[in-house]
Amino acid sequence: MREPLVVASGFGYRYPEAASPSLTDIDLEIEPGTFTVLAGVSGSGKSTLLRAFCGLVPHFHGGEATGSLTVGGLDVRDHGPGELAAVCGTVFQEPETQVVMGGVRAELELPLEHRGEPGGAVARAVEETALGLGVAHLLDRRTDTLSGGELQRVAIAAAMVHDPPLLVLDEATSQLDPVAGDELVWQLRRLNEDWGTAVVVAEHRLERCLPAADRVIAMVDGAIACDAPPGEFLEWAAAQSPAALATPAARLFSLAGLRPLPASVKDAHARLRAAPSAPTGDGPDAEVRRSRWRGLLHRNGGPAPALVLKDVWQEVEDGPVILRGVSLELRPGERVALMGRNGAGKSTMLRLAKGLDEPTRGRIERAGEVALLLQNPGDYLVHGHAVEDAGVAGVAAAGLAGREEANPRDLSGGERQRLALEVVLATDTVNAAVLLDEPTRGMDRIHKDALAARIRDLAEAGSAVMVATHDTEFAAALADRIVLLGQGVVIADGAPKEVLGGGRHFSTEVARVTNGAALLPEEGARLLGEAASLTAPAGELRAEARQ
Amino acid sequence: MSLIPVYRSRPSALHAARAGAGASLCGALALTGALYLHPLILSAALASVVLAGVLAGVGREIARSLRFALPFALLIAVINPLVYPEGDTLLIRGGEFLGRNIDITLEATAAGVLNGLRVIVIVTAFGLMSAAVDPDELLRMFRRVSYRSALTATLATRLVPVLARDATRMSDAARCRPQPPGRLAVARAALASALDRAVDVAAALEVRGYALGGRTARQARPWSRHDFRVAGAAVVIGVGAVVGAIAGVGSVEPYPSLQIETGGTEVVLSALLVLIALSPFAGRGARMGVAHA
Repeated sequence: MREPLVVASGFGYRYPEAASPSLTDIDLEIEPGTFTVLAGVSGSGKSTLLRAFCGLVPHFHGGEATGSLTVGGLDVRDHGPGELAAVCGTVFQEPETQVVMGGVRAELELPLEHRGEPGGAVARAVEETALGLGVAHLLDRRTDTLSGGELQRVAIAAAMVHDPPLLVLDEATSQLDPVAGDELVWQLRRLNEDWGTAVVVAEHRLERCLPAADRVIAMVDGAIACDAPPGEFLEWAAAQSPAALATPAARLFSLAGLRPLPASVKDAHARLRAAPSAPTGDGPDAEVRRSRWRGLLHRNGGPAPALVLKDVWQEVEDGPVILRGVSLELRPGERVALMGRNGAGKSTMLRLAKGLDEPTRGRIERAGEVALLLQNPGDYLVHGHAVEDAGVAGVAAAGLAGREEANPRDLSGGERQRLALEVVLATDTVNAAVLLDEPTRGMDRIHKDALAARIRDLAEAGSAVMVATHDTEFAAALADRIVLLGQGVVIADGAPKEVLGGGRHFSTEVARVTNGAALLPEEGARLLGEAASLTAPAGELRAEARQ
Repeated sequence: MSLIPVYRSRPSALHAARAGAGASLCGALALTGALYLHPLILSAALASVVLAGVLAGVGREIARSLRFALPFALLIAVINPLVYPEGDTLLIRGGEFLGRNIDITLEATAAGVLNGLRVIVIVTAFGLMSAAVDPDELLRMFRRVSYRSALTATLATRLVPVLARDATRMSDAARCRPQPPGRLAVARAALASALDRAVDVAAALEVRGYALGGRTARQARPWSRHDFRVAGAAVVIGVGAVVGAIAGVGSVEPYPSLQIETGGTEVVLSALLVLIALSPFAGRGARMGVAHA
């Protein structure tokens, strides 16, 4: 039997000046060639554990470590990140700051140069790694011309160019759109399966990684709460309250009382094939009919629009056309999810709607103030105390009462997002429209639910809310209308079921499992329950679960 | 859009040449601008830079450099006659201000214009280098001399645009607030954000093995025809400019009365400068791909 790559025994760690430890009593072993997913809500200790694997904890961050942790036979307390890099490649969350050189080839050469490898060996390793990881076409590109997904793939290549047996990734897909995120996960699977590299990946969107995983380690408050294969982990996650770590398909099965819980859509389909009356998704349902009725109502009066875009064009000088004659109306109280791939024009549309930029052609009418929350919430938090940025009422509305004096930089990503939203909402009047650009990037489900609740409050207060997002689950849970942009034009505009129900990419996991009959686990479970009550096979599935 | 050109790989003789050769050619043109004040030679140097930029496919970048340099050149052209009252040919008698005579002379005005032109030549020559010479390769040359300084310069090159984008984003966010914060608060936050970026980059460098401090002995790279042609042009221009300056070719004496050499030597030197600067782009050898005999 091969020696484990990672061995932790009673390992704990406390950041300098932190009141409580971030990791406590970690005992684990990671075998070579395995694919491990590290799950947990924000602040559970995932990032700290990965930073311990690569030696940044404790050498870079300082603090106090207890117990023992060895990676590739090197004790992380005795060996720094430079030495540990030989056995552990590391990729972080933020694409912009982990690629340090101006050119891709130079970026791949750098780790080997630090090791003093001979020139011939450097050239060969760069070529082979680039070809093996599918970044050869990027070798002569400047890093500032790469997309976020390309930057992350280059970062993986730079982390793997010296062929370490272990690769750790800390929410490496969180800043990427779903397409780039999926491509990255496929690349990791290839690394794991073809190269035999052990992969440890911390990720919020577990449904993306679970199909590839051999094992899931769930962390709660700095300790390992569950360490099991995906199926057993899903059972554990479903039993937690709230079930923040359960995937949508697992929640669907769990709510419907079906077992075993599926780790992938393929699994779910296989299990549902035993239930012939599973929902088919044929024909528009009540929600779609409601949406069409609403559209009719809008065209024939109804409340005056809060925001109107009329034949809006945005053409960059010497550059591409970003928006091509977009026309759109938002009514008070509407919750609209604006979707589309990167570069489709979502952010541009929000900036124009706010008035940050002027359209090159067309007209925008606003019924009142428009609030816009841009992608990076930290940009709104410019003072040293939360209360200085958002005021007492704003801090309370963000759910941070009692933490008025906290430095916004010390808040979690989700807390910063909520606080920043209150900063842009800090007016005496109700905003005609509230626009949010990718507010759920890097957020766990608990924070997403809290944000969705706040957005519903805003809509109920009379604001039209439009959220640009790649997160189909969030869009389905929040919106009563989905606008899909493609190539700068509106290519779909309708009820969530209508737009997300039949999509291949723009669809929820539950929609893929139920062939578009339901978007969310609760709704899908109800349909499955109805189907199961009529047929034996699904009933048998349920009986198996009870046993 | 940044006024400082950014390198992009392109199919041109200058881009194909090794960074040392390309930088030498641009440096030689800048040196010519620094050594001479003669209008014909400066104009020839500027024409060489602009035409080389066009032939290298970076004409837009050179135009941007020109836009960047023009305000400085104008400033020098305007300030010089105001602060330097030397010269025999009085154009405007401006009276007295703060105990000084503000007399504008033809000589000071000409010297201002020529110095402004000199600034334009130097700035655009460096603009050409910025647009057509691979900074990674250039900095790698310097890493052999001072590894950490060169790596720091590389990081700065990489991070300046990132930080500029951060600052733009924060400024946009400030415009989205109902009560925009003061500039000081935004500047302080931008600084804190830059420090965060620096910490992230430091962590990334650590996990790429920076602390090991190893050096790679570079493989000798054979010289291509582009390397020879560009480096050759650089050497000829650099040596010619220095020898010409020592020999007094193209001398300009602005004061007390403007004297500009207008002999055939200056014309020949200017013509040669343009021809030699453009020679790497001429002929079949300048074509990209394999040259056929």
